[in-house]
Amino acid sequence: MPQQKTSLRNDRLSYPPRADLLDEVFDVEGEQRPNWQYLMESITGMGLQALRDRYAKARRILRDDGATYNIYSDEFRKQGRIWGLDLVPSVLGSEEWAKIESGLLERAELFNLLLKDIYGPKELIKHGVLPAEIILAHPGFIRPCHGIRTPGNHELIVHAVDMVRGPDGNMCVLTDRTQAPSGAGYALENRAVMSRVLPSLFRDSHVHRLALFFQRLRAKLISLSLNHDNPQVVVLTPGAHNETYFEHAYLANYLGFPLVQSSDLVVRNGSVWMRSLNGLSQVDVILRRVDDWYCDPVELRGDSQLGVPGLVTAARAGKVVIANPLGSGVLENPALFRYINAISKALLGREPRMQTVPTWWCGQPEDLSYVLAHFDQLVIKQCFRSAKNRSVLVAGLSKDEKENLRAALQAQPQNYVAQASIAASHVPFFDGANLVPRPAILRSFAVASDTEYVVMPGGLTRTGIEEKTFLISNQAGAFSKDTWVLASEPERRPTNVPAIEAVNFQNPALNSLPSRVVENLFWMGRYAERAESSLRMLRTVFMLLNAEEPISFACKKYLLAAATKVTATWPGFVGAADERIHAPEDELMQIIKDAGRVGSVRSNLNSVIKCADESKELLSSDTMRVINDIRDNLDALDGNLNIDLSAAPEEALDPFVTALMALSGLAHESMTRGVGWKFMEMGRRIERGMQLTAIIRALLVPSLDAQATRQMIHALLLSTEILMTYRRRHQGELDIELGLNLVMLDASNPRSLNYQLERLRAYVDSLPQAENHSELDREHRALLEAETTIKLTRLHELCHTITADQQALALSEPQRLELENAMAKLNQHLSDLSTAISDKYFDHRVGPQQLVSVWESN
Amino acid sequence: MRFRVKHVTEYEYQERVAQCYNLAFLVPRNTDRQQCLDSHIHIEPFSAWSSRNEDYFGNTAFHFEIQAPHERLVITSESEVNVDTQNAAQRLDFGISYAQALELLATSRTTEIREVKEFLLTSPAVKLNDDITAYAKASFSPNRPVLSCVRELTSRIYEDFKYDPEATSVATPLEEVFAKKAGVCQDFAHFEIACLRAMGLPARYVSGYIETLPPPGEEKLLGSDASHAWIAVYSPSEGWYEFDPTNDKLAADQHIITAWGRDYFDVTPLKGVIFGGGESPKLNVSVDVTRIEDAAELI
Repeated sequence: MPQQKTSLRNDRLSYPPRADLLDEVFDVEGEQRPNWQYLMESITGMGLQALRDRYAKARRILRDDGATYNIYSDEFRKQGRIWGLDLVPSVLGSEEWAKIESGLLERAELFNLLLKDIYGPKELIKHGVLPAEIILAHPGFIRPCHGIRTPGNHELIVHAVDMVRGPDGNMCVLTDRTQAPSGAGYALENRAVMSRVLPSLFRDSHVHRLALFFQRLRAKLISLSLNHDNPQVVVLTPGAHNETYFEHAYLANYLGFPLVQSSDLVVRNGSVWMRSLNGLSQVDVILRRVDDWYCDPVELRGDSQLGVPGLVTAARAGKVVIANPLGSGVLENPALFRYINAISKALLGREPRMQTVPTWWCGQPEDLSYVLAHFDQLVIKQCFRSAKNRSVLVAGLSKDEKENLRAALQAQPQNYVAQASIAASHVPFFDGANLVPRPAILRSFAVASDTEYVVMPGGLTRTGIEEKTFLISNQAGAFSKDTWVLASEPERRPTNVPAIEAVNFQNPALNSLPSRVVENLFWMGRYAERAESSLRMLRTVFMLLNAEEPISFACKKYLLAAATKVTATWPGFVGAADERIHAPEDELMQIIKDAGRVGSVRSNLNSVIKCADESKELLSSDTMRVINDIRDNLDALDGNLNIDLSAAPEEALDPFVTALMALSGLAHESMTRGVGWKFMEMGRRIERGMQLTAIIRALLVPSLDAQATRQMIHALLLSTEILMTYRRRHQGELDIELGLNLVMLDASNPRSLNYQLERLRAYVDSLPQAENHSELDREHRALLEAETTIKLTRLHELCHTITADQQALALSEPQRLELENAMAKLNQHLSDLSTAISDKYFDHRVGPQQLVSVWESN
Repeated sequence: MRFRVKHVTEYEYQERVAQCYNLAFLVPRNTDRQQCLDSHIHIEPFSAWSSRNEDYFGNTAFHFEIQAPHERLVITSESEVNVDTQNAAQRLDFGISYAQALELLATSRTTEIREVKEFLLTSPAVKLNDDITAYAKASFSPNRPVLSCVRELTSRIYEDFKYDPEATSVATPLEEVFAKKAGVCQDFAHFEIACLRAMGLPARYVSGYIETLPPPGEEKLLGSDASHAWIAVYSPSEGWYEFDPTNDKLAADQHIITAWGRDYFDVTPLKGVIFGGGESPKLNVSVDVTRIEDAAELI
């Protein structure tokens, strides 16, 4: 078709030079720089459609990896945004990089010395190099951290810098990040995705690898431990709601260290311990992603729920090493830039190689008058960074905003700096249709090694959302790019470095897991199973209500009541008026869709997702893909699920059943059979057992007429996926004893009660045991009771109907009371087992509170 | 003067406390006019772990944790201290003037002067405002000895403010204290510190005890003493001087120092985190400051 040919030809993308913008791709004459030629040729030649396809693929990979960035204001997308990655990398030549790298090494060294001085002799203040208030009045200067020392040559373990290339062609530092710098993990993920989405371009471009940086980081963290035999390093995260939680989990996994939250750690006898299933295991080093002030409610912010009480004391005593050390946020004060040359001369004996953005500190009278005189040309920042105060480009403000800012600045000048506004160089960005120029900022990372720092080649490039935009931050919706430092010749891999990025240091000792993670896996197993059996029950109800063979009113009543009982969404259909039984649609839809109703399909699936998010670091990307499918299907559920019963609504439920099957299949096939897996399986088996007892009670305890009984057995076998097996084994009409035998006793049926108990026996016996008591512990006792109940079963007796006149209690309908008793007992034993496991292995500590100190006074 | 100080803090909780972590400033520090001769802290129930270290300001910080479940926590701090009085009479009348003090603070390049600037800055409990500055100004004139100005300020606060434990709490901000003109020693100390910093003078918060004497002819009651707070001001070339706005005097040999800092929150006598405990625990505190006059009692 000729039309298609033309479109193919026009498909080629272009990126022309622009006279009004600085651009990384072009030099001042508008000529393409040699380092960009191969890349630009490949990208533009690839064509629009191909680039779109690659972009879609990248999105899929990022999503499956769970790469998200949570935007706090995003109330409607609580699960986090997919990390934004543009496919056009930012390119730096090796010679130029060497220059930048040496500047960064020097800067890391300088900030390290500065940190040592601030929390040590304070020579810079004593000798008047720095005005005292820049340090002493800064909220990042934390007096309780005075006296904390980090082993080795460096206090500052990780140093990050944001820089842009200005009009003079040089890189210029805009900010330093020194508390808990984020971004290194995202850079690693970007690289992993790029090498999969554009493999040949990546391969042929000879890009410097990132792995070495992370190996140095890992080695450095281990070397900080005072316990050299078996150092325990953990990554401390504020939790799954943090904006960069993905990165915490990703890094922890990549480095092979457990990811912990504050509740996983406890201080005992002045040391820090992690709560694991085996009890407490000592922690030697913490790579923290929690900000300074939140780390310890005893000595720092008393209201922090993200901290570990006693942590500062432990750090001060050298019992635990924290990277970066507590208090390092003081280095993030931009007022230091005003004195950076003097600081460098004092500490290193020379001016720094790397340029820093020209900065005026308003606490200095002559600076203040300069700032007020040149207000409109400057960028205003507060000295203490918080989520609320961002850099402001004065030129971009309205008249009122300008006046307000000026007034605020004059009221407390010491809290403000002004910086020159630097027009950042642009890079090509694919906006879905064209390559367009966007300003770029590069975050680079340095990590302390034995004697000097090592810089990550490249780093995380972020681009502004529009041309010449001033603010580039992920919270403002910026995209990221992989940063390619080109090797001048094909890179020789250093001999001491094993393999490349894909190296995973996954720690095989799963018993070093925090118990919180295991608890989440246990509950993920339970919720997944609960959701699955609810779904199967509901499907069965829909199918039977629409079946060829009409069902009696009594039968319908018990069937619907079963839906209520299995989902535990009382009162629902139990004891409902006849009208509701005649028109059950609304209630059935609610049982499925209503997120606010505990027990509904949606609420169970939401719980599965939540547990998965909390134990992300243990789940494969295949598993995350299934979880994402569930998420998508939930989003689409309202549209797909028809309230009209005659329209086979069960079909809208099928994708969930499939996804949950995939989830349990993946757990079986691709999860290491460690402790985490075992607990997930126990959760699943306990839940399935309990669901079976609920279904049997709901369907078979009421004693109905022969035809209705057959329909109930049919429902039981259908909803437990046993119907096919039954039909294969038995001819003729459905029989209650044969049916119960399959559902309860047949150990070869993976959906029978007996089978669940056999599996549970194997798991419970293999759990880590604390002591050798000859007395049975609670979980073994509960399990043994359940087994005994099953083993002593006489099916014939269970099927016996107690008619109304035989009953002590006046029941409205005849019932199989023996069956009811047996199932109630089993249910209780399984519930006891769950409680026993939970009490023994999981943490149920209530949160800390401040000791209110109402002090008496004279 | 030699004293024995016994300071008992008792918490009774509504519910069981599983664990607690605490930081206390209960050990008298050594200063130019005071030596701590002996100090014990006894904790009930048994504290699994405790440690002492010198904090940023040179105070003795006492950390402890309790891992045993408990419904009652008793901390008994006992110490023996030798206290001298301050010799300030000369300086009050003939010391350097307020103008000279400001000049020295602005121009002197000594390490000491650079370091005391820490106590010129605002701090969590001491925020400045124009009203406070205006109040303070009335006591300062350029040619008057700076310590004499501070002495007058101390008297004015004593006269203008009413002692009223019901008026304020730990969390009451200074502007409210100033509006009510009422509070307790801690509020008066914070207020005076704010005045001094507003006038450009470094000032710090001093936490400790004061010996109270019974009316003539009466027996001293047990537990009648109290923990106390006052201030110290820095005069360049003269050093630190302590004033007590609650009692309208220079701190003397009845003022026993435990710790100092920028304000109360640097030296909170006892703070911490508990797990469990329920709502509003009952707190009982008693302080006894006993003179040791008989040499035979000295240990």
